[in-house]
Amino acid sequence: MGAAAKAEVFWRSALQGVRHQPFPHAVAVLTLAISLFALGLGRAASGLVDHLLSSLGNEVQLTVWLRPEAPPAVVDALTASLRSRGFAVGLVTPRAALERLVRELGPSAEALRGVAGEPLPPSLELKAPPALRSVESLRRLATELGGRPEVSAVDYGEEAVERLSALSRGLRWGGLFIFAVLLGATVAVVSATLQLAIYARREEVEIQKLVGATDRFVRAPFLIEGLLQGVSGAVLALAALAVLRRWIDPQVESLFGFLQVPGGAAALWGGAQTLELLGMGAVLGLVGSFLAVSRALRA
Amino acid sequence: MIQMFHVTKAYPGDPPVLTDVNITVDKGEFVFLTGPSGAGKTTLLKLVFCAEQPTRGQILVGGRNVARIRDASIPYLRRNIGVVFQDFKLLPHRTVLDNVAFTLDVLGTPRSESRERVLRMLKLVGLQHKAESLPLKLSGGEQQRVVIARALVNDPTILLADEPTGNLDPALTVEILDLLCEVNVRGTTVVVATHDASLLERYQKRVIRLERGRVVGDTALLKTARRTG
Repeated sequence: MGAAAKAEVFWRSALQGVRHQPFPHAVAVLTLAISLFALGLGRAASGLVDHLLSSLGNEVQLTVWLRPEAPPAVVDALTASLRSRGFAVGLVTPRAALERLVRELGPSAEALRGVAGEPLPPSLELKAPPALRSVESLRRLATELGGRPEVSAVDYGEEAVERLSALSRGLRWGGLFIFAVLLGATVAVVSATLQLAIYARREEVEIQKLVGATDRFVRAPFLIEGLLQGVSGAVLALAALAVLRRWIDPQVESLFGFLQVPGGAAALWGGAQTLELLGMGAVLGLVGSFLAVSRALRA
Repeated sequence: MIQMFHVTKAYPGDPPVLTDVNITVDKGEFVFLTGPSGAGKTTLLKLVFCAEQPTRGQILVGGRNVARIRDASIPYLRRNIGVVFQDFKLLPHRTVLDNVAFTLDVLGTPRSESRERVLRMLKLVGLQHKAESLPLKLSGGEQQRVVIARALVNDPTILLADEPTGNLDPALTVEILDLLCEVNVRGTTVVVATHDASLLERYQKRVIRLERGRVVGDTALLKTARRTG
């Protein structure tokens, strides 16, 4: 009783199945390809949105308002500590702040002419390193700095950042929901089409069982068929995505180039995503065929 | 080899198909199971190869109680039982060789060994020259011989045949029955369900008669009674 001989029988039977019923198999492959194409598109879009959000985060500058009475040594220590963490730090003295305000106000700066002394507090202007540019990191940093005695307030465009964060969360959950619906629908369609294929071969299954085939033996060729369908569907979806990318990449570059997606739009789809989609196709095909053949064997 | 004790089979809402059946078939025996249509012959055979479970009673096949067998064990039991059907149950798109090899595929027999054994079996049933033909190109008798070859290729200890000659003309009927007798001579226990009375007379084997699901006659019991009486 050889495992190799059985494996040969399974593959032969699976390929015969595909050859004898090309239509249900083609339907299953197409369904898988469409679903995987949509999933791949969603994956790329979610990558793009993530990159956009993190790029928008880059534009946000943190302003740390210092207490006027804060000793210079403490301010220096804070500056050094932030620089050691990779932040670009610029100290804005009260005089420099006032000069900037006058510049920005233009002719209206006349109103400041009567103000004596230094009305504006000193501040530190921070630019986060790439690794700390996410919305979450900005919020954590603001909380951390706000708790220090020499700091009176931290401004990082909280409202804009919160909106970005909510948008990001919404997109993520929405994406997950669509992903789950697509996954369920794909498994159902693949399972239904494979059930057609099994129904067409019910006589063969019946004879197999009469001559002593175990359920596992009956199931194996159908699982191979499901696997082949899944991988074929994934290859088709990848091909369609590649064609689409040729057309869409330049548009993405021209639309969002100013936000500097690291590595350009090409970085949004790489080897890992290709393997992910192939794996997903294989798993969907296997799960669909497993459900179909289990249902058929119970009947 | 096959023992049935007080076996009853009933489907909900219908009268029992078999009622209190007690029979014993010894190893190497050739038995005709006869009776009119609906007498329960097919159901009795199905109980032996576990296509059905009895409602009551015990069934021993090769010493194993199949009335209580787990579903997972049924395939292993069936590998020791060859089954021949009236409607052949051959796969039309596969060659004769592939149809017979089907039984060996299930056992994981390597292709080269499988081919050798199939050709040997086809020679036994006189069809070695038809190995590459498709079943639908064969006559009814030839198709039934292919089924017998498929049932015997893995050397089962029991061969069950349900109306194996039901679709055949008298000449082919004799040809198939002669083949089954030959198989029996080689040591296989053979049980043939038939309603063809001429076969019972011609072959003079043990006959178990069923009517309305009950055993109403058994020539083996009659002989024993004559000997002891």
